[in-house]
Amino acid sequence: MTIKYESQRIAQHFYTFAVLLFLVQVVVGIIAAVQFIKPDVFILNFNIIRSLHINALVVWLLVGFMGATYYVVSEESEAELWSLPMAHFQFWATVVTVTFVVLGYIWMGINPQANSPVMGINPLNEGREYIEAPRWADILIVVSVLLFLLNCVMTVLKTKKWTGIQGVLLGGLVFLALMYIPGMFYTKSMVKDQFWWWWVVHLWVEGAWEIIAGALLAFMLMKTIGAKREVLEKWMYIEVGLVLFTGILGTGHHYYWIGTPRYWLWIGGIFSSLEPIPLLLMVWDAFRTTREARNVANRAGLFYTVAHAIFNFVGAGLWGIIHTLPQVNKWTHGTQITTAHGHLAFYGAYVLLVISMIYVTLPAIRGVKEYNTSRAYQAFWWMTISMVFIVLTITGAGMVQTYMERMMGLDYEAVKTTYNLWFWILRAIFGVGFLIGVGIFVVDFFKLGKEPAAAMSAAPEKA
Amino acid sequence: MSNKGARNLFIFGSLFFFVIFLAITFDTLGKLDKRAPEITKEVDEGKHVWHKYDCIGCHTIFGNGSYFAPDLTKMAINRPRSYLKRFLMDPKSVNANAAMPKFGISADEADRLIAFLEWTSKVDTNGWPPKPILAVAAGVSGPELSAGQKIYRSQGCSGCHMINGIGGTTGPELTHVGSRRDRNWLHEHFEDPSKVVANSAMPSFKHLGDQALNDLTDYMLTLR
Ligand code: HEC
Ligand code: HEC
Ligand code: HEM
Ligand code: HEM
Ligand SMILES: [Fe+2]
Repeated sequence: MTIKYESQRIAQHFYTFAVLLFLVQVVVGIIAAVQFIKPDVFILNFNIIRSLHINALVVWLLVGFMGATYYVVSEESEAELWSLPMAHFQFWATVVTVTFVVLGYIWMGINPQANSPVMGINPLNEGREYIEAPRWADILIVVSVLLFLLNCVMTVLKTKKWTGIQGVLLGGLVFLALMYIPGMFYTKSMVKDQFWWWWVVHLWVEGAWEIIAGALLAFMLMKTIGAKREVLEKWMYIEVGLVLFTGILGTGHHYYWIGTPRYWLWIGGIFSSLEPIPLLLMVWDAFRTTREARNVANRAGLFYTVAHAIFNFVGAGLWGIIHTLPQVNKWTHGTQITTAHGHLAFYGAYVLLVISMIYVTLPAIRGVKEYNTSRAYQAFWWMTISMVFIVLTITGAGMVQTYMERMMGLDYEAVKTTYNLWFWILRAIFGVGFLIGVGIFVVDFFKLGKEPAAAMSAAPEKA
Repeated sequence: MSNKGARNLFIFGSLFFFVIFLAITFDTLGKLDKRAPEITKEVDEGKHVWHKYDCIGCHTIFGNGSYFAPDLTKMAINRPRSYLKRFLMDPKSVNANAAMPKFGISADEADRLIAFLEWTSKVDTNGWPPKPILAVAAGVSGPELSAGQKIYRSQGCSGCHMINGIGGTTGPELTHVGSRRDRNWLHEHFEDPSKVVANSAMPSFKHLGDQALNDLTDYMLTLR
């Protein structure tokens, strides 16, 4: 395996930044978990740590998508990127912006008054979950994303090879960029604030990002086992179609209790209950193509791809549907049940997606045919088993919270500090297990294909 | 189905659903202001303060946000203004064990935040958060309440105090208060808490009248 186009190498820059942010995300995640047990354990308060945790997550996933997309677009268009210097510029602009945003959060953590409005705008932190990044950073991020999209589209136009995979991939990315806009203006009403906020958050993870996942899934199945494009693309259209048919009106599952009209209980309940169907189709798609596979070109890549499809369905589909009906959500809304779902969904759908893309494309970028896959599997099991236990633990905490606080009427703080204490302790312990997995993955990322042949253990399952 | 058919279904089907979504959004936006009180200048300023200190990084509001601290949607109904102001400006002065940090919120900012929280507490949220059904069920068939117990419930004392594991944590636990305090102390404390306890954040209940305060005191003295 080698790359066909020199500019595909740019993906590696993005992957490196993504992997480092992943490490940061998980380290601060563990600090946040310990703060549930001892709130003042660290110089930065919980809110700052949590912002770092979820922003690092979203940014490294987006950066991973960008790297993967440059690779795919060049491969599918059968051409070098339109402008490699622009891709480099866009990469470094992203790194610099993200660094300043992070420094801003830390500064605000040390001195909250530093976020006092300048000309009516909070300079360090917008104070809105997931989109905490201040307005100036929003604008820089939009510029960076526009340059990225321009570069991709111009590359496609060079050879005009509009394959289904790259059409859907770029369509998903354009939708992603557009859905950032509803989060960029101030509204006086907290109800409208949350109304538009969910356009960003929900239409990203249950709309645009799932489209990207559908396209990349097809790409990875094609690359790892040589599945037929014709068939893959047809199922891809059906999957991403169903994602949007159910997911757009499924936004209603966030409009039950925020001051919006009652009819959303019907719309959200019905359409969001159907959202797991396309995710199940993707699992079936992965198994069907894998079963037909004659020769597997990249076992670790395929392994992660199939795992991604499965955990996308479990985390988003199953852990989503359990609390999506208004009759249930009325009791579980905003409890630890939501946290459990958020973790398994993000891990299964997008963390595993980006890692799969790394394992599918990195060997080619590094120009190796065979590589030591043992660390890839070790990392997978450490991360996945730990994550499953984190999620089971927090689902337990959520059930206790729902029952004691919401149904019996006990005080929030009393339930948190006494009845759920053991769950917090267990989560922190499994968090360390997760960190070990990430550590193994990061080492593997940097060493893959660079070790002398003697150090490579022949992977036992290699044919 | 051909690939082209599948592609067209995806594109036009998605557009179809997006258009429906836009239409319903349009309808919803027209209805939102009627489901909430008017947004005064103070409420809007309070929302700015809310964002400045990133309250959503620990709390939920309308159930959305972080799950580290209690939901604040209806907080202004359950706590008196004077208490909230004290708490926001310096949580540990109210409750030495408070996990909420002191951010340096000024008196002005606290007033605005409270106006903002009073606004959210009056938004029509389709009945969320729901009344705890098990507690309601227990109240219906439970034993006859004494006069003091009834006042304790109706005045929301349990929002701040805990008795036998039920109630809030911001005030001291009252499970054994009867063995700590005597009748005079309790009565005087209800009339004017800060006269008995320096800098007390507990609201005064003098307005309830002597009879009610005696009943409450009787109840407190049974808690040993
Ligand atoms: C670092 C996390 C954190 C941040 C940020 C935070 N809070 Fe809190 N808050 C808490 C915790 C934890 C509690 C629960 C009581 C306690 O232990 O302090 C609480 C309790 C409260 C209470 C209820 C007190 C009671 O009587 O139960 C109010 C009101 C409140 N916070 C308002 C706010 C507002 C307004 C902001 C933004 C200016 C804010 N909080 C920011 C952590 C936080
Ligand atoms: C908004 C919160 C709040 C509410 C509501 C509240 N309290 Fe308090 N209470 C406090 C705080 C804070 C203290 C600690 C300071 C003090 O002792 O005055 C306290 C102290 C007390 C004490 C003294 C306990 C001790 O051992 O020192 C008693 C008794 C008491 N409250 C009873 C009541 C009763 C009865 C009600 C309802 C009529 C009530 N409280 C309503 C916050 C509250
Ligand atoms: C990959 C896809 C998904 C991801 C990454 C994801 C992630 C999340 C996250 C992070 C939240 C919490 C948001 C917050 O912080 O307030 C959330 C909430 C929610 N999700 Fe998902 N989700 C996905 C798919 C789904 C699906 C398919 C369903 C339904 C079948 C679903 C149902 C819900 C519901 C009902 C809530 C609201 C919980 C509450 O009321 O507190 N999600 N999701
Ligand atoms: C790849 C792995 C991870 C992903 C994708 C992830 C994702 C998220 C997301 C989306 C949120 C915010 C939404 C929510 O609370 O539902 C969150 C919050 C949080 N995460 Fe993670 N996380 C990961 C790993 C970890 C680890 C290893 C820990 C530590 C044990 C951790 C601890 C926390 C804590 C304590 C919160 C705050 C939850 C709350 O507000 O109650 N996370 N994470
Ligand atoms: Fe959603």
